[in-house]
Amino acid sequence: MRLKVPVLAVLIALVLAACAIVLAPGTSYALQDRDLPLAGSSVHHLAGTDALGRDRLTRVAAALLLSMAGSIAAAALTTAAAAGVGAMAAFAGEGVGWAAMLVCDVFLALPWLFLLMMVRSALPLNTSPGNSAEITFFVLAALGWPACARAVYRGALRLKSADWMLQARAGGLKRMQVIRHLLPNMLPLLVPQFLISVPAFVIAEANLGALGLGVGPPLPSWGGMLLELDNSAMLLQTRWVYFPVALLVAVLLLLEAVAVED
Amino acid sequence: MRFPGRFACWILIALAAPVARICAAQAATRLPGELAWTIGYDPKTFDPAKVDDQESEMVRYLTAGVLLRFNRHTQEVTPSLAESWTVSQDGRTVTFRMRQGLKFSDGSPLTSKDAAWSVRRVLLPDTKAPVAEEFVSPAGVTVDTPDASTVVVRLPKRVVGIGKVFDEIAIEPAGRPSEGRVTAGPFVVSDYKRSQYVRLKRNSYFAARDGSGNQLPYSTGVRLDILENPEQQIRIFTRGGYDLIESLPPDYFELLKKTAPNTVRDLGAGLNTEQLWFNQAAASPLPAWEKSWFENRAFRVAVSQAIRRDDLARVAYLGHATPAYSFISPANTVWYDSKIIAPHTDVAAAKAGLKRAGFRLKGTQLVDAAGHPVKFSILTNAGNAQRNKMATLIQQDLGALGIEVTVVALDFPALIERMMHTQDYEACLLGLENVDPDPNAMMNIWLSSSENHQWNPSEKKPATTWEAEIDRAMNDQAVSANPVVRKRAVDHVQQIVADEQPFIYLVYPNVLLAVSTKLQGVKPAVLEPQVVWNVEELRTEVGR
Repeated sequence: MRLKVPVLAVLIALVLAACAIVLAPGTSYALQDRDLPLAGSSVHHLAGTDALGRDRLTRVAAALLLSMAGSIAAAALTTAAAAGVGAMAAFAGEGVGWAAMLVCDVFLALPWLFLLMMVRSALPLNTSPGNSAEITFFVLAALGWPACARAVYRGALRLKSADWMLQARAGGLKRMQVIRHLLPNMLPLLVPQFLISVPAFVIAEANLGALGLGVGPPLPSWGGMLLELDNSAMLLQTRWVYFPVALLVAVLLLLEAVAVED
Repeated sequence: MRFPGRFACWILIALAAPVARICAAQAATRLPGELAWTIGYDPKTFDPAKVDDQESEMVRYLTAGVLLRFNRHTQEVTPSLAESWTVSQDGRTVTFRMRQGLKFSDGSPLTSKDAAWSVRRVLLPDTKAPVAEEFVSPAGVTVDTPDASTVVVRLPKRVVGIGKVFDEIAIEPAGRPSEGRVTAGPFVVSDYKRSQYVRLKRNSYFAARDGSGNQLPYSTGVRLDILENPEQQIRIFTRGGYDLIESLPPDYFELLKKTAPNTVRDLGAGLNTEQLWFNQAAASPLPAWEKSWFENRAFRVAVSQAIRRDDLARVAYLGHATPAYSFISPANTVWYDSKIIAPHTDVAAAKAGLKRAGFRLKGTQLVDAAGHPVKFSILTNAGNAQRNKMATLIQQDLGALGIEVTVVALDFPALIERMMHTQDYEACLLGLENVDPDPNAMMNIWLSSSENHQWNPSEKKPATTWEAEIDRAMNDQAVSANPVVRKRAVDHVQQIVADEQPFIYLVYPNVLLAVSTKLQGVKPAVLEPQVVWNVEELRTEVGR
């Protein structure tokens, strides 16, 4: 727990810095400085510009915020869905539990990347970049809950046979009263699931972006920026193309460090 | 702190693709005197009569013996297997006089019967040869062989540029089509490994000789590696594994210019065009109000005026492209009309034009007369960096008019499905590859009845008067024997297209090549195949 505090502090500092960069007057992640494509570091563009002359620092900051906000929201949705399904499966009787876990297994067996690609490519063409971002993270959440639900189910089964639960039932507590006590007891199960899901969604969104199926332009995404690394011609122009991937790895390490149990 | 195992997996997965790519960048072994370069995908067919894709066309070009060859350098039709050829006064009878002593690659004699059989084969409906369409009425064509060295082709009506059609008809042994294994061209197919390479070996019976009487081709063979990735191509090229790269992307051109400046060549604007168009198909599922924008000339002209083509050429193509305003490139000196008046960049004029057409600004958003916000998507193909960049640049350009544009990159099959079948798209940004400078080769684009008439395919009758006028002018030039009349008709079509903007032309990409300094006999041309059009005269220093 001692490690988590400074790690969290660094993460929060990064997010605050990103907010400051994005909200600074006169900056825009979409504005093209067409006289300065692939420029190096300068007073106006601290991390240089991309191939269309857009400020790389602003785009990386915006991608960080978008990715973090989307991934946290998707992780919250996933965890809530997993909590509902896992708890229902554990407490609703053996048949329901078996059926719910079968559904989870089917979901887990699906090639999720292809599913994501299918869903994204089936969207209306004129879906705005903002909506495409929302839909991307929603789809990630909709497909990401089964593994989490399985873990919650196993934990909920342990809770079901816990002493306090037996005493509560023996004491005549009604179902709703039991559930009210259940939720705080499930938190130690749900928080790690939530923390594990956040980096998973960050990387999933980056994957989709690299396939051209993530967040639509001109909104920046990690995946879109990682695509620059596929082009050795661009790598020789400016070393700043490594900046997004360096920051992505750093953010993932920080998120992982937060999620790891002591 | 223990190392997070899950994260290690992610790192491994992320590294797997580039590592696999680097490992895969190994060319097959090169035989002595063999030329080598790449094609992007497996040829769909080796049957020269059925060629319908670029890579099959490359194999056909290298292997086929043809009666006439269209010289890509001089842009003139020259005899090849035919010693001479004549076209009758009415343009309906073409007579070929074959060379004496011709042989196929297996040593069997090649006579007029083989030539006639090959021409008849491509005309048969069952063969489904794309080249048959170029005879305009293939069913009415007859082929006779009065003697062993004469072939007479009779056409139901004159076909302009008929000579070039015979550049695409491979002469095969009568009754023994061999899919390139027995040919009268410089090479024969000797080996094919799916997704790896096509290997061609020298045809020792090839009829051509150089000025000193030496047998052509000079090289012992050709290896065409099947490789799409330009990174790998360049890596292998710089190691000497390939002799040339055609159609080099601009950023890689710039890279090679730094590392191997003697190898790169920018031939200037090519014949190809990149263009944007709006879906005007009557059958498209777009809402009526949206269709009405796209059918509105003022709207199309305003969009054209808002696009900064100089920026597209400079930013998306790193300066290796020329702003385009017509379907005929200035590289096509015979047919290009330098006098056409086309909408150039003028945002103020674009705004004024939209206002006159009933559009107005509501805040920063442009709305039509009924109050519908003007927003649409531009579809392009994923994986083409230049098109994706252009679409994003146009997105900002049109933002200046208050138009909200969404850029969508789809893989090619999905894009074609929308464009040709469901017609469920708003605007599309694609390119057109012109292999023939004669506008007659573009009939399938301009005739309103054509399924390749992309903004409104397969019209039963022309939807607008200007489309009817294009039909009339294109048909006039297709049947006229008078070059002046043809030029006037084509100039007229260029002006109509500039006025109506069914296609908003963006740029003419430059022809960018990389050629090994060890390759001899190179005379690059803007027409495809740009470097290997004279393949029989090419040789590496080693193979000399």
